[in-house]
Amino acid sequence: MNLHFESGGFLTSIQDGGRFGYQDIGISPAGPMDRRAFNLANILVGNSMDEAAFEITFSGPTISFGCDNIIAITGAEMTPYLDGEPCPMYEAVAVKAGQTLRFGKLESGMRSYLAVSGGLDVPLVMGSRSTLIRNQIGGFEGRAIRKEDKIPLRSPKASLKHMNRRVVLERILFADTLEVRVIRGPQDSRFTEQGFRTFFSGLYTVSNEQDRMGCRLDGPKIEHVLDANIISDGIVTGSIQVSGNGLPIIMLSDRQSTGGYTKIATVISVDLPILGQAKPGNRIRFIEIDIVKAQKLYIKEQKWLKRLEAKWRTEKEAR
Amino acid sequence: MADSSGFEIQFHIVGDRAISVVLGDVISLEVNSRVRVLKQVIEGRHIEGITEMVPTYTNLIIHYKPEIIRYSKLMKLLGELTFGLKPKETVSEMVVEIPILYGGELQTDLEECATLQKVSVEELIRMHCGSLYYTYMLGFAPGHPYLARFENPFSFKRRECPRVKIPGGSVVVAEGLSNLIPFDQPCGWNIIGHTPVRIFDAYKQPPSLVNAGEWVKFVPITAEEYVEIKERVKNGTYECKSYPKESAR
Repeated sequence: MNLHFESGGFLTSIQDGGRFGYQDIGISPAGPMDRRAFNLANILVGNSMDEAAFEITFSGPTISFGCDNIIAITGAEMTPYLDGEPCPMYEAVAVKAGQTLRFGKLESGMRSYLAVSGGLDVPLVMGSRSTLIRNQIGGFEGRAIRKEDKIPLRSPKASLKHMNRRVVLERILFADTLEVRVIRGPQDSRFTEQGFRTFFSGLYTVSNEQDRMGCRLDGPKIEHVLDANIISDGIVTGSIQVSGNGLPIIMLSDRQSTGGYTKIATVISVDLPILGQAKPGNRIRFIEIDIVKAQKLYIKEQKWLKRLEAKWRTEKEAR
Repeated sequence: MADSSGFEIQFHIVGDRAISVVLGDVISLEVNSRVRVLKQVIEGRHIEGITEMVPTYTNLIIHYKPEIIRYSKLMKLLGELTFGLKPKETVSEMVVEIPILYGGELQTDLEECATLQKVSVEELIRMHCGSLYYTYMLGFAPGHPYLARFENPFSFKRRECPRVKIPGGSVVVAEGLSNLIPFDQPCGWNIIGHTPVRIFDAYKQPPSLVNAGEWVKFVPITAEEYVEIKERVKNGTYECKSYPKESAR
């Protein structure tokens, strides 16, 4: 029982919640670039929110279903079609064996998520099914999905309870100018007052150099006190490095665990999905927020997701 | 808050899910030992909500789940734990022996480095494997250690032009550092030799051959031994020797 990829799409990879516990030996956590959309796709099909699903980038694959299943597509609007008919997003959709899913034009955003009920049957590597493509770890053979790949399903379901309730009305709003909230530091002492003024008042543009490792921005240069070098230090997802050229780079899911450049601020967790959907040409404005507010927002979102998870959990899975 | 050495330990907020504890501002064995000690002390406390910790040269990055423990509560606990932190002997430090083929068929910069160092190739090899190397941390790539020697640093720096690709298993050197390259990658350092063992293996526990706080002893092997060990690694029948440091040399 599997999914047959008649084409792989621009960059499709298997991601689960992420590979944690190994950053101290240099393993990037990988995981979804738009975690919220990814969580929602899973919850909609009755999976635990961190179950392995497909992250689809820029242009989507063509998939034929080997058996009946329930799927959900969230994230970027990539005009999905099921057997030629528009396939709704942000709701659970029953598919039948033999049906084909394809994607059309990317209308907004950058990454879509396709979750299938019961998850994907690829091996756990260091506790995770996430693909770290750069190091060929995990997912399906450690790489992006290609034409003719057959991905086995763990436990596909032909039906789920409460199908008509499995809809999410809260959608991402895609805008040209994105507001990204950040907490300043940890190397804030290495930047001048002027540098901070530039960072928080400037309008930055997402360059063409953006991928799962990070997002380079163009825009007004940020002033350092001295230089941009530090003793190699830990990086987290959302770290904003500013190298000698004064331009910010936002480190994302596949970022390395350590780096030698000054970090001016860190994107807050609930705003990371914004970067996961950012396209070259999008503008970014940084807004300062304190950690207490940031953590409140994060916890609020986690509670919301857990409520949805509980709402749609089938009787079989409810404990 | 100062530890017994007088350095003011600093705490930095790194976004809403990590805290960085700064134990020093120079790369030194002493500072790095403080990082390791703190990591062990925190591990011993089993603080719920901490998901993992990443030691670097001078800092310890603590990743945590705010839904389990908030920033203010975690800071309070860390403050208590770091008070009066003394660098002390932790568990016995381990030495890992890594076989290395100096020269051989794969490309190396042995001769060029020997010339720069103004010694013979044999003397350079003796220099390289004559010292133990300390693992400050891992990073940059899976299993990639930052190894340093504390006596007779090499006189040559990195190469003018980095190479676009060097093979995994390369052992590279520059000044007081020698690193193990786990995968094919670009690199600007000088290749001194190659090791047939896997520096990183996703299917082993632990996946990394070398870990932070451990010492590496390079053991010269012949070209024949290189081939033999490579075969045994493939069959899963080769293990690098490791033992407590007191019994080394």
